[in-house]
Amino acid sequence: MASASASAHTSTRARLPSAAPDIYIPEDEESLVSQLTKHWLNERHAPDILPAQEELLASLLDYIRRQSDAVQLLRGQPSASEEEHIRIMLVQMEVERVKFIVRSYVRTRLYKIEKFARFIMGDATIQTRLTTAERTHAQKHAELTDAHFYNSVLQSLPETQSHLDDTPIFMPPMITKPDESRPVFVHALRDCPPIRFHEDLTLEMKRGHISLMPYSFIEQLLLRGDVELI
Amino acid sequence: MSNDTRQFGDLATQLVMESRRSTQTDSLLKYNDSLVRALIREQRDLEKAAEALEAGMDELQAYHSHRVERLRDLYWAVGGALPHILNNQDIRSKLSPHEVDYLRQYNSFVMEFRSEFSHELDITASITNPPKDLNVLVHVVKNCGVIQTELGSIDFQKGQRFMVRRADIEHLIVQGYLEEVS
Repeated sequence: MASASASAHTSTRARLPSAAPDIYIPEDEESLVSQLTKHWLNERHAPDILPAQEELLASLLDYIRRQSDAVQLLRGQPSASEEEHIRIMLVQMEVERVKFIVRSYVRTRLYKIEKFARFIMGDATIQTRLTTAERTHAQKHAELTDAHFYNSVLQSLPETQSHLDDTPIFMPPMITKPDESRPVFVHALRDCPPIRFHEDLTLEMKRGHISLMPYSFIEQLLLRGDVELI
Repeated sequence: MSNDTRQFGDLATQLVMESRRSTQTDSLLKYNDSLVRALIREQRDLEKAAEALEAGMDELQAYHSHRVERLRDLYWAVGGALPHILNNQDIRSKLSPHEVDYLRQYNSFVMEFRSEFSHELDITASITNPPKDLNVLVHVVKNCGVIQTELGSIDFQKGQRFMVRRADIEHLIVQGYLEEVS
């Protein structure tokens, strides 16, 4: 997808050289988009929640805002030529594509955050990987789910059962947490240091190597950017 | 439990009475084997009851977690259009009053989270298909009233067709008001 749009972008520029400099698809924006696409796919395939890409996301939101504003402005000008209309349309397409990737990325995280909300609230490490808004959402969602269970079940039970072990609030025994042993497909982006499965079994992934293994073994490599999930 | 009308603790009281009687009469009574055995049995039953209690709680929780997960899936499947779920009699009749409350609260939290991005995009819009074309030809399946679009406001009346910007009406396709004409 990235390569197709990159070529579309090059030809756009070739055809429409310098008419309206306010509006264009810059090279580095394209690389931000492919970076976020990679993070989105990693996020989708990782059982755990990965560190939030706040800076990258902020740059892309900036980009969406600037391009949308420029499009609005140009559309308001009745004198726009045919060429400019085509240009506007291409930019809009590009903006929609970026929005799609941003939205997919944000939603993939949101899904996991809701699923693991209770676990997140009790785990300081995972909290550091969330944005402020995500943390707030996790907390509210954990409270909401607890309140729902309390209202649906606990409040109709005798107090001894709803307040087990002197805990003021009932602690549910089942807290869904990320399954780090889940197998994932890894693709080595560069030569990786050896992975030790157990004493006499190690694997050294060369660049381009694809393998299936439990997430926990490649977590560090993923965080360092040595591998991506596919 | 086997002993039905008797309350838990009755046997224990009887055992206490035995000791008291022994003290009062200052005599050693015969070891009450049957009472001791009955009490041990009761302890075992209580143990089982406690296990059942815990298992029951787990089941209750699993059931409710499963349902709220389904509710969230439902919510996202219609692009976060809560009224669309709550006004659907078929769905509504399957929800408990607490589940309706849950959905309302959940919706307000999602709306709050969405507002973080309100200047750039709508994070509740569809993520099932990557955008192909900016515009789409739609057929109106159900009246959905006047909708603000990039082309101005459009009154979508059943049976009509419009060429509109996809981003403006995507949610109406998801909710079944419009159909894409291929």
